[in-house]
Amino acid sequence: MRKTVLTAAVLFALAPRAMAAETGQSLYNDNCAACHQRTGAGIKGAFPALTGGKLVTGPLPVLVATVLNGRGGMPAFKSDLTDAQMAMVLTYIRASWGNKASAVTTAQVSQARVKAQAVAKPKALLAH
Amino acid sequence: MLEEMGPGSRSPLTRRRFFEQLAAVGGVSLAMAGMDALGFGFASAATAPPSLSGGAKNTKVIILGAGLAGLTAAYELGKAGYQVQVLEARAVAGGRVQAARRGFVDTDLMGNRQECDFDDGQYINVGPWRIPYHHQSTLHYVRKFGVQLELFNNDNDAAYVYFEKGNGPLAGKPIRKGQIAADARGYTAELMAKVASKGDLDALLSPTDRQTFIDYLVNEGRLQRADLSYKGADGRGFEILPGAGVSPGPGKETEPFAFADVMSSRAWIVLNSVAGWEQQRTMLEPVGGMDMIPRGFLKNIPDGVIQYNALVDRIQQTAKGVKVSYTDGAGKKAEASGDYIICTIPLSVLKNIKMDVSKPFLEAMGNVAYAPVNKIGLQMKTRFWEEKHWIYGGHVYNDIPGIGTISLPSTGWHSQKGVLLGYYSFGGEAAKISALPPEERAKFAVAQGQKIFPEYAENFEKAFSKSWHLDPHSLGGWAEWSDESRKAAYPVLCEPDGRIYLSGEHLSYLTGWQAGAIESAWQQMAKLHQRVQQA
Repeated sequence: MRKTVLTAAVLFALAPRAMAAETGQSLYNDNCAACHQRTGAGIKGAFPALTGGKLVTGPLPVLVATVLNGRGGMPAFKSDLTDAQMAMVLTYIRASWGNKASAVTTAQVSQARVKAQAVAKPKALLAH
Repeated sequence: MLEEMGPGSRSPLTRRRFFEQLAAVGGVSLAMAGMDALGFGFASAATAPPSLSGGAKNTKVIILGAGLAGLTAAYELGKAGYQVQVLEARAVAGGRVQAARRGFVDTDLMGNRQECDFDDGQYINVGPWRIPYHHQSTLHYVRKFGVQLELFNNDNDAAYVYFEKGNGPLAGKPIRKGQIAADARGYTAELMAKVASKGDLDALLSPTDRQTFIDYLVNEGRLQRADLSYKGADGRGFEILPGAGVSPGPGKETEPFAFADVMSSRAWIVLNSVAGWEQQRTMLEPVGGMDMIPRGFLKNIPDGVIQYNALVDRIQQTAKGVKVSYTDGAGKKAEASGDYIICTIPLSVLKNIKMDVSKPFLEAMGNVAYAPVNKIGLQMKTRFWEEKHWIYGGHVYNDIPGIGTISLPSTGWHSQKGVLLGYYSFGGEAAKISALPPEERAKFAVAQGQKIFPEYAENFEKAFSKSWHLDPHSLGGWAEWSDESRKAAYPVLCEPDGRIYLSGEHLSYLTGWQAGAIESAWQQMAKLHQRVQQA
């Protein structure tokens, strides 16, 4: 009986999950929420909150460079997110949880990527 | 270069003795200069700890962290006569060098508590899991502490590759790696050989070179000598295996895939002319789990030197000494004082601890990223990969988002059960899966593995997952330096700030490897010792 339940769960999980259209929120939940939490509140002493700080709502080049190259323990996303995806997710965090900053365009991210010298690298098959 | 350094060298002992003598006379830096003069880099020099002769002059060193860097420093400095005190945040030593087996507990920052309930004898290396043959610093301690080794199969021609994002009839199908290798290389060799034999490469090849080049391609691609065509190779396997008598007798070789299908599958991504330096065979693993290495250290470090469950709150220094405030296991505030600090706390964690260092040093510390890294061990009730698929260790390379690599154990051959690595992923993909509760992570891993092995789900019994970025004492799998930070920030952190020396895999070019932690500790303790000698 238990096996049947498991098999059903397995089949369900096999159904394509990437079918739904990506949004800034879905990209955030997938890539950022593990650390910064869905509420943007972060985890004290480990992962900074994305609310009330200057980085998220401040000048774009610094914000984009941080997400592209990582900083202070945060991983680099230059190879994980396209410029369009990054624009969506940055627009989302700049307008959520009480943040009120301008939307981000793909072109702005592309510009900042050049400036930050953050070229996407092909994913390595192996590490360590 | 390599043959000069390797076991085939004409006089390796003489050369090594020469460097050892340099180290004995002038410390590691002179030995390193000697190495450099002969064209060796530091990496090749660091196969043994620095000689710490001349006495410790009643010096006390506080070591923060009992991972491989901290253990190395504690062991070597202790042996050289230093007074050492180690503060370790976890209840156990080893840092990221951990094996999850029955009773192993992990609570992540999201509050997910897992207690490993694998059967006795089953385990998964949740941290480092393989040792390249040239990581002689790691192997130095493996040898010294009598840690038993076994082969780690890092490349298996019989293992499947699975690429669902490719195109054509081979996309989304498990295929033996050897078949892709034979066909991709065979057809490529055929093309090159035909072009060369027509004379189309004569501008680049002399007439003698042309024939030698074709000979090479015939050999490399297993081509038909007569018409330079690729018709398959026995190495890609058989439809009917050769055997006894006349039936099966010679057996029947498999037909190669079509060149276009191999190309459009993109499964050739698993092929390289030669494995990267860090991934080359031979690779090794300790019998029974990677934590046999920290255990080896612990047997050789006096009891009481390491204080567990000690959370560092504040790191202070003056011109005269150092002081570390911490909270002990009972929740009580305590202090440790000494002359120097070797701090091996990952920079991701250290940035949250108040420390008396200069502004440039603090800024440099903020310039490193840490990789989100996920692993999951899946206990299977039978070793179907060995019994049904004849795959003995190695990796199933794939492009399933969130899975990274599936790996089959290189230990316990033919025993009843086994724990395989259900995913090993980094970056955004790791962040995504780690956001799920542990049961969901396992469900995800099993569902994906089922695409490759039909026996996967029905054999699955138990899981244990580890997300290094969600571990409060690591906050990431390993340090990731950008080229920019390597230039500006990294050199700053490699030098002491006053009486504080940083050390760990993050301060090496072997990031994420045990050898990086060990060699960084060697380098820093040599600097510290030299300073004590001169004081």
